[in-house]
Amino acid sequence: MQNPLDTLRKIRQAVENRPAELETLKAAGAKVVGWINYNVPEELILALDLIPVRLGRGGDDHLVEHGSRWISTKNCVYVREIVGLFAENEDPYVRAADLVAVDATCLQVFRTGEVIRHYFGKEVAILGVPRNFHTPEGAQYFRHELKHFAGKLEEFSGRKLTEEKLAASIALLRGIRSTLDEIYTWQAADNALITWEETLDVVQAGHFLDRTAYLELLHELVAELQEKQATDEIHDRFEEVRIFVSGSIIPPGDRKIIGILRSLGARIVGDDLWSGLAPQLNVDVKAPTVDAIADAYLARVPHGALPYLDLETDQRLANLKKLLHRFHAHAVVYHTLRYCDPYTFKGNETKQVLQAEGFPFLELHTEYAGSDYEAVRTRAEAFVELVRNRNLIEA
Amino acid sequence: MSITTTEKPIRKLFEYPERLREAFIQTPGITFGNGDHVTASEIWDYMTLEAPVRFPHSFDTSNANQGRLSSDVEFFGGIKRTWFSISLKDRALRAHENGVPLVLTQGGQTMEPYYAAGGIPLRPGLVMQWARDMQEGLSLRESDARGVEILESGRNRVSIDACNQIAAHAAIDNGVVPISLVAPYLALRCSDMAYLTESHRNHKRKLPMHLVDFPIDQVGKPWAADLVATELRKLVVRISEFSGKNVTDDDLWQNIRYANTARGLAREIHYLVWNAPELPINSSDLGGIPHLANDFMGDPVATLQLLELIRDEVKERILRGVRGAGVHKDPKRLFICGSCVGPNQQNVERAGGYCAGRDDSWNLLTLEVEEKGDPYQALAKSILSYPYEQPTEKRAEWTIQAVRDSKAKGVIFMYQWGCNYQSGVSRMISDIVKEKTGLPATFIEVGELGRSEATEQSENRVEAFLEMI
Repeated sequence: MQNPLDTLRKIRQAVENRPAELETLKAAGAKVVGWINYNVPEELILALDLIPVRLGRGGDDHLVEHGSRWISTKNCVYVREIVGLFAENEDPYVRAADLVAVDATCLQVFRTGEVIRHYFGKEVAILGVPRNFHTPEGAQYFRHELKHFAGKLEEFSGRKLTEEKLAASIALLRGIRSTLDEIYTWQAADNALITWEETLDVVQAGHFLDRTAYLELLHELVAELQEKQATDEIHDRFEEVRIFVSGSIIPPGDRKIIGILRSLGARIVGDDLWSGLAPQLNVDVKAPTVDAIADAYLARVPHGALPYLDLETDQRLANLKKLLHRFHAHAVVYHTLRYCDPYTFKGNETKQVLQAEGFPFLELHTEYAGSDYEAVRTRAEAFVELVRNRNLIEA
Repeated sequence: MSITTTEKPIRKLFEYPERLREAFIQTPGITFGNGDHVTASEIWDYMTLEAPVRFPHSFDTSNANQGRLSSDVEFFGGIKRTWFSISLKDRALRAHENGVPLVLTQGGQTMEPYYAAGGIPLRPGLVMQWARDMQEGLSLRESDARGVEILESGRNRVSIDACNQIAAHAAIDNGVVPISLVAPYLALRCSDMAYLTESHRNHKRKLPMHLVDFPIDQVGKPWAADLVATELRKLVVRISEFSGKNVTDDDLWQNIRYANTARGLAREIHYLVWNAPELPINSSDLGGIPHLANDFMGDPVATLQLLELIRDEVKERILRGVRGAGVHKDPKRLFICGSCVGPNQQNVERAGGYCAGRDDSWNLLTLEVEEKGDPYQALAKSILSYPYEQPTEKRAEWTIQAVRDSKAKGVIFMYQWGCNYQSGVSRMISDIVKEKTGLPATFIEVGELGRSEATEQSENRVEAFLEMI
C-alpha cells in the first residue's frame, strides 16, 4: 500500500536526483567531503561551504566480499562493504567524495580510513576521539583534535571558518536534528501514517541531500503529518508488538532484520542506532565556535565504541531506557553484526539491564549474507510470538 | 561441566643434563629488588627437580607445545630467563599476599608507571598462563584443556567474537587469579581490550578498573602528549591507592632508567645476534628477550641482571663461533608481524627457518625515554612514538627497516582470530613490505593464542611459506 504522505515521495525523488545534482555542483567547482563514523561534525563542513555526504552502505554481500580482499574477514561487514564500495568505485557518493573524513570512534572504521587512503588513493582526514571521552582531559584533547581537523578542512576548502558561517550551520543542523526527533514521535504514535522504516529512510536521506533543502523537506513532512495524522500521542497499544531496535549500525541498504520483523507483523517504534536516532539527540552547541562543537559532540549519546566503566551512570544505557519509555516499546531487538565488538560485547550486559526493567530482549547476531536468514527469522518469530502472548496477558 | 581430562599421556619430559650442573652453579645467581638472592644452584634445582613436577606441561617435548623450552641447554642465560618466567607465579602470589597490587595491562605498553606506583603489571598472556598454572601437575593436554575451559567461560559471558585474550579477563572474573586492578593503556594495537575491560562492570566480582587513553593518529600533536601525561599521572595515583605508596617523580625516573637500560641491553643483544656470522642463540631464546626487557616479569632489578648475563653470554658465544642449538646453518630468517601470536619457533627451526624478530616486541625495544624534564611528559612523548602504533603506512616503513636489520628473507603477518584491529591492516603491511623489499610476505590467521595444541594448520602454512623461500 502506498503511503499517503506526499513528502515521502518528494524525499525519495530528491535522493534519486542527488547524484546528478552533485555532479553538476562539482562541475561548477564545489567540493564534497564524504565522512564515515559518528563524531565528524557536519557543522564545520557546511560552514566552509563544502558539501557533506555521509558515506557507507550495507546489505550487499558482493561488496562485502570485494572489500574483504583489502581489509580482513575479521572486520565487520559494514566496514568491509565500505571498502568494497571504494574498491568498486561505482557508488555515486564515493565517487563524488574529494576528501574522506573519518573519526576514530569505532577503531575498525579508523582502519577503514587507512585502507581507503592506501589502496584507493583518496585523501583521508582523521579526527582523533578520546576513549576517556567523559573526563576533562579527554574533552580538552578533543577540542585540540577538532581545531586541528578544522584546520585541515580550511586548507582543503581554501576558506576560513567564520563565526557567522558557523552560527548558520549550527542552526541548520540543530533544526534538522530537532525535526527528525519530532518525526520520530509521529512515527511511534497511534495510527501513525509514517512507519519507523520510512522514518529511518528519511534520516538516511539526510546523509546525501543538500542540508538546507533537506530541512525544508523535513518541515514539510511534519506539516503534512500535522495535517493528515490524527495524533502524535503514543500509547502502549497491546494489540501491537512494539519493538525497539538497538545495537550495531543499520546503514542504508541493510534492511535484513527490519524486513524480517515487519514480515512477522511486529511494529518497530524506535531505535538508538548510530545510523538512526542517536546522532540527533542531545547535541547542544552553545556557541558558534569549534570548542563549543567539540564539547557538544562529546556530551551527546555516547557511541558503543567508547568504553565507560560505571554501569549505573552510563549515558548510552540511560538514553536507551528513556527512549524505550518514550516510544512505549514492548521489547528490544538488539541487532549485532559479526565482529562488531563495540555492540556485540555489550549484548549480554544490555540484556540483563533491560530485563531488569521488564523488557524482553532478543539479540540477533548476523551478517549481510542471506545464509542465516531463516535461522534469524525463526528466532525473531518466536520472540515476536512471546511478546504478543505477553501483551495479551497485559491487555 | 569440567572438560579437564584426568588421563596423563605418557610422554618423556624435557630434562637439563646433569653433566651441566657443575658449570651452571658456578655462574652468578640473581638478586631481586628487595635484596633476596637466588643462587645458580637453587635455579638449577628448581628447573630440574621442582618445576618439572609442578609444571610438567612446560617440559613437554611434543611439537605441539607452543611454549616448548629452548633445547639450548648450554645457554645458561636462557635457562635463567626461563626460570624467571616460570617462577613468576610464585613471586606474584607472594607479592599479592604482601599487599602489592597486581594489575592487568595491555600487551605492548610500557610498564614503568606500574612499578613506580608499587604494583606489578601483568599482560593478558602472562595472566592466561598463570591461570592455567594455578592448578599444578598438569600435562600439556590438561593445561590446554583448563585454558580452554577458562576461555570459553569468558566467551559465554561476553561474546563469541572475542579474541582469546578474553581468557585473562575470565580468569580474573572467575577468581582464578588475584588481580587487584584492571588498568591497561587503550587503543594500543588492540581494540578488544577496551570492551573487555568495560565488560567487568556488569560482572558479579566488582573489580576496580582504570583506563589509560592512548590517542591514535598522534603524530606531531603536542596535545596528545599532554593527554597521555595526565592519564599516566592518574594511573599512578590509582595504583598507589592499592599499594599505599607515596609515589614521587624520582620513583618514576628510577623505573624509566631501569627500562631504558633494559631496552638498550635487549637491542644490543638483537643486533649482536642479527650480525653474528653464526646465529649464537635459537629463536626461542631470542624471542623471550623483548618481553623480559619490557615487562620485567615482576622485578626490574633482577631483569637487568638477567639481560646483562644474556648479553655477555651471547658475546662470548659469538667469539667462540657457537651456533644456537636447533639452528640450521644459514637458516631462512623470518620476520614476524602482528600482535600476540607468532609461529612455533622450534618448528620453524626444524623446517630450516629462524624467527629473527617480531615487530610488536622489537617495537617495544626501540623506545628511549628522554631522562629530563617532567617524567610523565617524557614518558608520554616517548610512548606516542611507538613505531608499531603509528599510522599504518608509516609503521610499514619502519617494519621494512626492521626486516632489513634482522636480515630476514621473508615476512609473515600473523593475527589471532577475533582480532579486528591488526587483521584490518595485515594485508596493507604485507603488501607494502613486499613491494618495497622484494621479499615474500604473507598474512596468516590463527586461532591458537594461549593454546598449546591444535596448531597444525598454522604450522603447515608457515612451513609451506618457508619452503617457498
